[in-house]
Amino acid sequence: MKGAKAAVELLEQQNVEVMFGIPGGVLLPFYDELLQSDMRHILVRHEQCAGHMADGYARVAKRPGVCIATSGPGATNLVTGVATAFMDSSPVIAITGQVATGVLGNDAFQEADSFSLMMPITKHNFRITDPKALPETIKKAFLIATTGRFGPVHIDIPVDIFTADISDEDMAKEVRVPKPKRNLAGLLDAIKLLEQAERPTIMVGGGVTWSRAGPEITRLSEILMAPIVTTLMAKGSVPENHPLVLGVCGMHGRQVANYALNNCDVLLAIGTRFSDRVTGKLSEFGRKTKVVHVDIDSSEIGKNVKGRVGLVGDAWTVVNALIAGLQQRKKAATWKERIIQLNKECTCDYDLKSNPIKPQKVIHEMSKLLPEDAIVTTEVGQNQMWASHFFKCYGKRMFITSGGLGTMGFGFPAALGAKVARPESVVADIAGDGSLQMVSQEFATAIESDIPVMVCLLNNGWLGMVKQWQKLFYGERYMATKFGGSPDFVKLAEAYGAEAIRVERHSEISEAIRRGMKSDLPILLDFVVDPEEDALPMTPPGKNVSECIKGRCQWKGGVA
Amino acid sequence: MEAMMLLVYDQPGVMQRVMGEFTRKRINVETIVVGKCEMPDRARIVLSISDREKALGVIEHLRALHEVIEADLIDHERHEAYAIMLGKDGVCRVTGTVEEVEGIIKKSQPAKYIETLNAI
Repeated sequence: MKGAKAAVELLEQQNVEVMFGIPGGVLLPFYDELLQSDMRHILVRHEQCAGHMADGYARVAKRPGVCIATSGPGATNLVTGVATAFMDSSPVIAITGQVATGVLGNDAFQEADSFSLMMPITKHNFRITDPKALPETIKKAFLIATTGRFGPVHIDIPVDIFTADISDEDMAKEVRVPKPKRNLAGLLDAIKLLEQAERPTIMVGGGVTWSRAGPEITRLSEILMAPIVTTLMAKGSVPENHPLVLGVCGMHGRQVANYALNNCDVLLAIGTRFSDRVTGKLSEFGRKTKVVHVDIDSSEIGKNVKGRVGLVGDAWTVVNALIAGLQQRKKAATWKERIIQLNKECTCDYDLKSNPIKPQKVIHEMSKLLPEDAIVTTEVGQNQMWASHFFKCYGKRMFITSGGLGTMGFGFPAALGAKVARPESVVADIAGDGSLQMVSQEFATAIESDIPVMVCLLNNGWLGMVKQWQKLFYGERYMATKFGGSPDFVKLAEAYGAEAIRVERHSEISEAIRRGMKSDLPILLDFVVDPEEDALPMTPPGKNVSECIKGRCQWKGGVA
Repeated sequence: MEAMMLLVYDQPGVMQRVMGEFTRKRINVETIVVGKCEMPDRARIVLSISDREKALGVIEHLRALHEVIEADLIDHERHEAYAIMLGKDGVCRVTGTVEEVEGIIKKSQPAKYIETLNAI
């Protein structure tokens, strides 16, 4: 069997239903075989978006998303997509074509050293130079992507591997990858700490989303009488309508979440790497706090926050172990009641009836109107922070965002990937005009492949978050943040064959969202919003919570 | 000086992947020895790093690499130094403990020399 046919069969064996990509010279033998396969191929308009779509697909389906690009420029374009998946631990399989092994390393046409390029932004990557290794490499790639901490795996395949003969014997080869080691030696210490805590808080990160341990963590929080705060990556993993779930913490987080995070005596951190966007000034973070850190990746324990009780294992397993150890022992009281009260008082569900439209009002209406199984993706910047702060995630709702790398232009293609994974759900991308212009060509993909997503554009005519920083920290000296020549987004979407509505009055918002939810076509809602509105509250970078810029926020609960 | 021993798969790209972790963590590798070992298709790498804290910080990341089978710090008493010196009398090879080899280099003031740390 030829390598190309083998590759297609191997992908089918891995239950790949769909792949996102663009063909090219060195991929011709592979695409020729793809013609006879039942796997769906979605032709994108830029390889970066193929990566984001596979990423969005993986985050919803909880199994690997596959993207494919040709050698040279195809591979370099794919880099951003793969790096985004790496930072958010998403299992993406990235396949790139490569020039023939005979000319590899000689600067052949469309040659780039994609093996080296992808190395630091993948969990692992392969360059196949021996046809014999093709079957085991593809099998291994899928295993590595979904064993232990998830992550992207890249496979670089030279064109002559696609045309070489592969034996049945090689096809049948079984592969194994080492299982990550669990280390629960600190379990008793952890239980003791948590049991004695007067002011316990549980902080959950992206690992919990991947491990789907939300229900168990909610149970643990009830046993411990501890509030739950989430990172941006964990939004949606625990129901935000639960009285003990305080929402997103960190730089733009809810005040009550930051209060609980900074005033607890014992912090149980699960599946989080203590990003600088959460901790603020690292040296001041948790000085008074005892930390129990749970992570599947042993290299995360002690990386950013040092000297704590570390438990290495999958969030679901460890949380169940903690529940088993703690459920018999009842504690009289913790700060639970006070936190629940503070959570009620921390209302920022703004129903702002003003023109020009306030972006918070758009999110408020979306939060109210979208169904309980809606998937929301975001771009990066102010739109992302408003969405994380004001959109409520509960039930089967999902929140998908580029948390680690902060990739502008992620949300729209990720929404397309998410819709492919769960076609029955409403999928909405909360976008900014800066981000959308980086990937607007994908309206063509959405139309061509019939993927009806809703793009809710918070259009303020600025690179809003950078502008906000220039306003707050650089004395309002605006440089390269105002867009002078943006397109008419309604006409742009319509040019691709999508539906589009412009919304300029707050009274029209809910009607537009309702229409968007019903649309059978991709639809753009161009909300023209107030350019002077900032994403607040905000804790300035490197500062602690007491220096938070609150803006409209009414929080009176204090900081210490 | 800390010495770290890695058992790795003997294939192209392994050194780049291992060194990538040191680059990311901004650690300067003082010396490096790579060679075949008792197992087929495997190789050993012995690296030396001046800062113990940094060495401990990178080791879990190295263990997470799929081409790294083992990664451990090695006790100081197992460290060995090796040097080649070029002096007036031609090429001279020196082996011994780190202190011995460094003492000899200092004493003989060679025109050129290279010193590396090894361990088993």
